Amino acid sequence: MTVDQTQVGRPEESSGAAVLELRDVAVHFGGVKAVDGVTLRLEPGLIYGIIGPNGSGKTTLIGAITRLTRLTRGDLLFDGSDYTAVRPDRLVNLGVARTFQTVRLLPDLTVQQNIQLGADARTGRGAGKEAAPHGDLLSKLKGFSGLAASPPSPAVARAIERTGLEGFEAYYPTELSYGTQRRVEIARAMAMNPRLLLLDEPTAGMNQAERAEISALLRDMRSEGGLCQLLVEHDVQMMIDTCDYVFAMNTGKIIAEGEPREVVQNPLVQEAYLGRKWREHA
Amino acid sequence: MQEVVSAISLGSIYLLFALGLSLTWGTIDILNFAHGAIFMFATFTAYLVLQQVELSGFVVVLLGIAVGAVMSLLIQVLAFEQILKRARTKRSAEMQILIGGIGIGTIPLAIAAEQTKSNPFGLSNSTFDVNVFEIGDIRITNIAIITIVVGIALWAATALWFRRSKQGLALRSIGVDAETASLMGINRRQLALVTMAVSGGMAGLAGVLFTYSLGAITPQSGEILLIKAFAIIILGGVGSLVGVAFGAFALAAVETWVLSNTSGSWTDAVAFGLIFLVLLVRPSGVFGRKEVRRA
Amino acid sequence: MSTWYFSNLVLIQATLTGLVLALSVQVPLRFGVFSFAGVGSYGIGAYAAALLVIHQQMPALAAIGLAVLITAVIGLLLGLVIARLAGLYLAMATVAFDLIIGVIATNGGTFTGSSTGLYGILSDFTMPMMFTLTLIVLGLVVLSEHGKIGRRVHAVRDDIQLAASAGINVRRYRLVAFVVSGALGGLAGSMNVMVRSTVGPLDIGFNLIVLALTMIIVGGAMSWKGAVIGAIIFTWLPSLLEFVGKWQTLLYGIIVAVAAVLLPRGIHGVFVDLTRWVQRRRRKPAAPPPAEVAPEPDLEPLMTGPATGASGASSSPQGTPSSTSLLRGKA
Repeated sequence: MTVDQTQVGRPEESSGAAVLELRDVAVHFGGVKAVDGVTLRLEPGLIYGIIGPNGSGKTTLIGAITRLTRLTRGDLLFDGSDYTAVRPDRLVNLGVARTFQTVRLLPDLTVQQNIQLGADARTGRGAGKEAAPHGDLLSKLKGFSGLAASPPSPAVARAIERTGLEGFEAYYPTELSYGTQRRVEIARAMAMNPRLLLLDEPTAGMNQAERAEISALLRDMRSEGGLCQLLVEHDVQMMIDTCDYVFAMNTGKIIAEGEPREVVQNPLVQEAYLGRKWREHA
Repeated sequence: MQEVVSAISLGSIYLLFALGLSLTWGTIDILNFAHGAIFMFATFTAYLVLQQVELSGFVVVLLGIAVGAVMSLLIQVLAFEQILKRARTKRSAEMQILIGGIGIGTIPLAIAAEQTKSNPFGLSNSTFDVNVFEIGDIRITNIAIITIVVGIALWAATALWFRRSKQGLALRSIGVDAETASLMGINRRQLALVTMAVSGGMAGLAGVLFTYSLGAITPQSGEILLIKAFAIIILGGVGSLVGVAFGAFALAAVETWVLSNTSGSWTDAVAFGLIFLVLLVRPSGVFGRKEVRRA
Repeated sequence: MSTWYFSNLVLIQATLTGLVLALSVQVPLRFGVFSFAGVGSYGIGAYAAALLVIHQQMPALAAIGLAVLITAVIGLLLGLVIARLAGLYLAMATVAFDLIIGVIATNGGTFTGSSTGLYGILSDFTMPMMFTLTLIVLGLVVLSEHGKIGRRVHAVRDDIQLAASAGINVRRYRLVAFVVSGALGGLAGSMNVMVRSTVGPLDIGFNLIVLALTMIIVGGAMSWKGAVIGAIIFTWLPSLLEFVGKWQTLLYGIIVAVAAVLLPRGIHGVFVDLTRWVQRRRRKPAAPPPAEVAPEPDLEPLMTGPATGASGASSSPQGTPSSTSLLRGKA
């Protein structure tokens, strides 16, 4: 948390190349303004957070960024180029990966196969030998016949190692604890070799200890070649511990931004939440 | 003009039959593919009973309703509830119920087919006789009148009950959001059972009236009627009572027209074509509110 | 051996045709596309191949090839038009499609032989050809269940938003399912015409849909193995159950009903669950190290989701990530 906060994330500054930039993005559903004019910039190598009460537009914003939800107005830029018209399934090519609010692992695939699904997504950028499962012919045949699992591709092996999932490769999602499932999701996203990782409430439903682990993992991943992370989070402590820079949302707008502790002390933010929980962290 | 009367009479039968199917589909999300088998088997049971003892038409009708209701309840408890308990997702439950219904439907069909050697059977040993009246130059049978009256009355009663009564409101809220409904203390299971029983009873009723109208039905009669009922509901819109009525009479009208103007082997195709066309052009149907397309 | 083969030749042929037919419905199902259009394609393929042989005197393979091409294209067109429908409605639209084909066949006058159908279709089709075609097709389906495509198909079926986020073009996969379904159905129908030398509307009606469904439900909808199991069972069962005789259809109905309720993933599904259960039991000794506070590792598959997992085992705050909050207990 020692980055110079005056330079980071401010939309007016065009210091480095921004990984992600949103310009006056709005998403309206009929009469409801879920997202109402959001502008922000994300720099590589940092962890950003979006906090806000339920209904503040956080998840809709993520949907807009990942092109699953259509924009009513505004521009989306990745690495400086407009991607507002890009189809959602092409985002991985750009280098965008995400996890979802609810755990979405394929129940009929093992942990390794689920993560491999992420590695499969890498086309062009780092695909090929890195991503494809490898091994000699015999182990391939074994894997094929279902007798034994084939060894993981380098990308998958790395993702497993980074997220501490060694030993779980052959497990099925239903056998894992919630925290471990979340970890598999993150590993899958990592296997896509992203430049921008979006995490939608990655610690929802977890206890404090599990949260701390995930927080450590995410901070650890910061060093992954300039990876930029955007976290949608509910839990204040998690946010303070993990994020370098935070945007506070309410009713579809960003009402405050800055270093986590600052934002938490912001009276506008506190007013939006009206909770002692917030004042405690002040 | 005679054609109009035929169409209305046919439409009433369709309405009675489709009403039951629509009721469960639109409210508790159960598309019961055994509905046709219930329709047929209720009549078949009456036929068997009539072989032993002569009964009045009214009793035969009651018998049909009772058998239909019981069959429907059994299917709900023994099959559908079990599927719902074990299914992983709503979508897979939907498909399993669909398939389960098809499978279960073949059982009554097989029994009846074996007993009758797939020959038509009727309800001839009852005191009910078909009389034909002539009004102007239109000929209409008493059974047709009864069918029309019962069909429309039952439909109106259902619509009214749906709108006004507490249970009706409960059913509608289940249709809209099952979880909220159960949170509000509405006993889903009870309501579902009642709905299925009523639906089955309607099928039985339709079967008896239909058989009196036509004179006889075959074990396979239920199958084709089921597809037509589906066409009716799709055309009218799932969950819409107005839609069911509209669909029933619309289909009957088109079929009657086709029958009188072509060779007659195309009449069944009307329903098939309708299903396909509606799903293509306006999947939610004329009066429907449910979203039928994927995101 | 060869006497068994020849005395059961018809059944063997029926098994092969049944297998390809079952696959024509199972493959799209695996993709999450609830299409029964494979049955309609069966009809189209059968009639197309028959007409090509009768009127054009085409050799069997050419007729089959052309029939498959036709049904594949029709499958594509169908897919383009109805792919957006949700599960149940998609299924019904395809059933309507199948039934319309039947009506067209009945009303086609002398061209399609009306209600009696076409007969006397003699060709140079041989059993080696039939086996080869079936095996090739089966091989392709098997391949589609493994590797990258296999994984992606799971995503397309189970979670399209996830699939999109993993770079999968869902629409394309679904269209492929329609094309494959059409091609497989057409292949089954045209092969059957060659070996039976006749085809009629009664062969391609609702009953065929029920048969295909039965094979898949009982055999298993998730894999080609299920289609094989189903095809074998429902081709050979009648001869084995001769003593059951007139109650055959009743027995079938009961089997399907029971399978649909109790064994939704079919016999193959039971086998898969069993295998996984065995694997899990074998893994128990390798569970977390004794120092862990993990609850007893008696595992049961549960629904995933925050609501069920929140109270998982507590983890040691400083433990390396790989050894904490692992296997879920029975809570």
